[in-house]
Formats: sequence, structure tokens, C-alpha cells
Amino acid sequence: MKFLVVDDSATMRRIVINSLQRIGYNDTVEAGDGQEALAKFDSSIAFVITDWNMPNMSGTEFTKVLRSRDDGRSVPVLMVTARSVKEDILTAMEAGVNNYIVKPFTPQVLKEKIDALLPAAAA
Amino acid sequence: MSSSRAHEVLYESEAALRLVDQELSGMHDARDAAPPPAPTISLSDLPNILEQANAQILNVLARLRESRAALQTTALERLQTTHEKIREVTSATEDAAINIMDACDRATQMVDELDTIDQAETPDREKATGIRANLRDELFLMMGALQFQDITSQQLAHASSVLVDMEQRLLDVARLFDHNVDAGRITLRKDAVDEATFDPNATTRNAEGRQALADEIFTAVKAPAA
Repeated sequence: MKFLVVDDSATMRRIVINSLQRIGYNDTVEAGDGQEALAKFDSSIAFVITDWNMPNMSGTEFTKVLRSRDDGRSVPVLMVTARSVKEDILTAMEAGVNNYIVKPFTPQVLKEKIDALLPAAAA
Repeated sequence: MSSSRAHEVLYESEAALRLVDQELSGMHDARDAAPPPAPTISLSDLPNILEQANAQILNVLARLRESRAALQTTALERLQTTHEKIREVTSATEDAAINIMDACDRATQMVDELDTIDQAETPDREKATGIRANLRDELFLMMGALQFQDITSQQLAHASSVLVDMEQRLLDVARLFDHNVDAGRITLRKDAVDEATFDPNATTRNAEGRQALADEIFTAVKAPAA
């Protein structure tokens, strides 16, 4: 299963990718913002983990565009962000995000959210 | 007239009178230094002079009002929030450093235990396997603690944007009194922070509580099906 990890912080990308490897997911693709993520997204991507605040294109904008594409309509999108006020969380949901992790996060939370969305990804 | 408005008027009047007093003092000093001028002002000129003085005072008051608007209360509030954010950066950095050092101490102890096992005549491989698993956990914990870097960088970006905003406001005030201010050494920074790249509310605090809120909202409002 291939993961697309989108974050403008190289530190956070490494932390997320290492967390994924630790729970058994070694196939990952990285992007530094929404535009790069759209360019790298294809039908081989089974799961997207994205930050919100990024230059050029935010995580919510990226998710909206992704949902308008045939190949991105049903891919699970997990947002990992420092934003945590209610309005932001609702905005992310409206954009098409399937679940939400608040930074700083623990690997356990990441695993729980991925596990919860995986049956849908496999379907 | 409300008490706050009365206070404002009093403040503006005082400021204007100070300026007028300064001007009169200057005239007084110049008069003392110079030989006594010939009396050219007659009583009939007085209304005209007072009218001109009134116009000058009104002009000063108008400029004071403009400068007050430029440095409005919200700007001060933003500065106070920024001060708190910078203090939080210091705290988050220290917490992360302590967590990493604690994990390093535990990892070092585990390496020592592995050495002891290796030196035994019949090494306890099962115990060594358990210690290695714990050692990996500790190394992973160290990496997780580095998440503070992403959050503190957002807090610093926010602080930087507030400073750029203050710089703009102060420059606006300076322009009120000196239209040639741009010709001097005061220039506005052009490399302002991209506000899309940070969350002004980013924090390392209460991650569990904030995650619980997100979970509650996602549970209450049906998330879009994947």
C-alpha cells in the first residue's frame, strides 16, 4: 500500500514516514505542498496524509481538488495539522478530509486513524 | 459624553497644548536671543492670529487621531499574544530537549544491559530481544519529540508576521509627520512571512484535549465516506 505524505516541514515528513515504517508501511511518496502532491498523485496512491498550512496550496485546497478528480474521489485523506479549533476541523471535513490528527501526535494515534480508514481503503 | 471619550479629548487636548507650548517656547527663546523686534502686531490683527492658531491646533489634533488609529488596540493585543507565543517556544524547546535527554539516558542504560548480556557465559538472548525492542521504542520517542520543531517554527513565523505588521503601522505613523520618511534609512521589509504557511494558534500544549475535540467533532458530524 502506497502512502502520499504531504507537509512543508521536512522534519514532519520524516517523522510521519518513520511512524508509517514502524507500523509496517514502507511504500511512501513525499510532497512539500498541495501543488506538488497533486502532481505526484496517481492511482497507485492508496492513502494520503496531509498537513494544512503549506505554501502554494494548502491541505484543504489540495483535498478539494483531489476530490474533484476521478482517481482521487475515494482515496482516504488523513489531515495531520496544528490547527485544532472547531471551525478549522469542520472546514477540513467540508473539504473532504476523512479523519483528523492534531500535532503533536503519538504513533498510536496515527495507527488508530489509519486502521480506522483502512477497511474503506481496501474496499 | 462618555468617560472614555472625555479621557480621549483630554489626552488630545493635552498633546495639542504641549505642541503649542513647545512652539511658543521656541518663539520666546528666539525673541530673547534676538534684539527686541519692532511692535508690528496690532490688536486688530489678534482675531486673525487666533484663527490661524486654532487651525494649527485642529490640524495637530487630526494628525493625533490618525496616529492613534494606526496604533489601535488590536495591534497591542497582537503584540501581547506574540510575547506569549515566544515564551511558549522557549518552554516547548526545553520540554523537547528534556524528553530527548531522558530517552538518551534510558537508551544508554539499555546498551549497557546488552553489553552485560553479551559478556555472560550463556547470554540470555530472549532478554536481549526484549531490551532491543525497548531501545527501538526509546529511539522512536526521541524522533517524535522533534515534532516541536514544526510547531515552534509556526509560532515564530506568526511572531515575525506581527513584527512586520507593527513595522508597517509605525511607518504609517512616521509618514503622518514626515512625508520624506521613505527617503531616509527607514524602509519596510519586503520578505514578509507567507500567512498561509503557519497557524497563528499553533501550540504544543494540551495535544490530548485538542485531539479529543477533533475526534468528538468527527464522530458527531458524519465524516465523508472514503
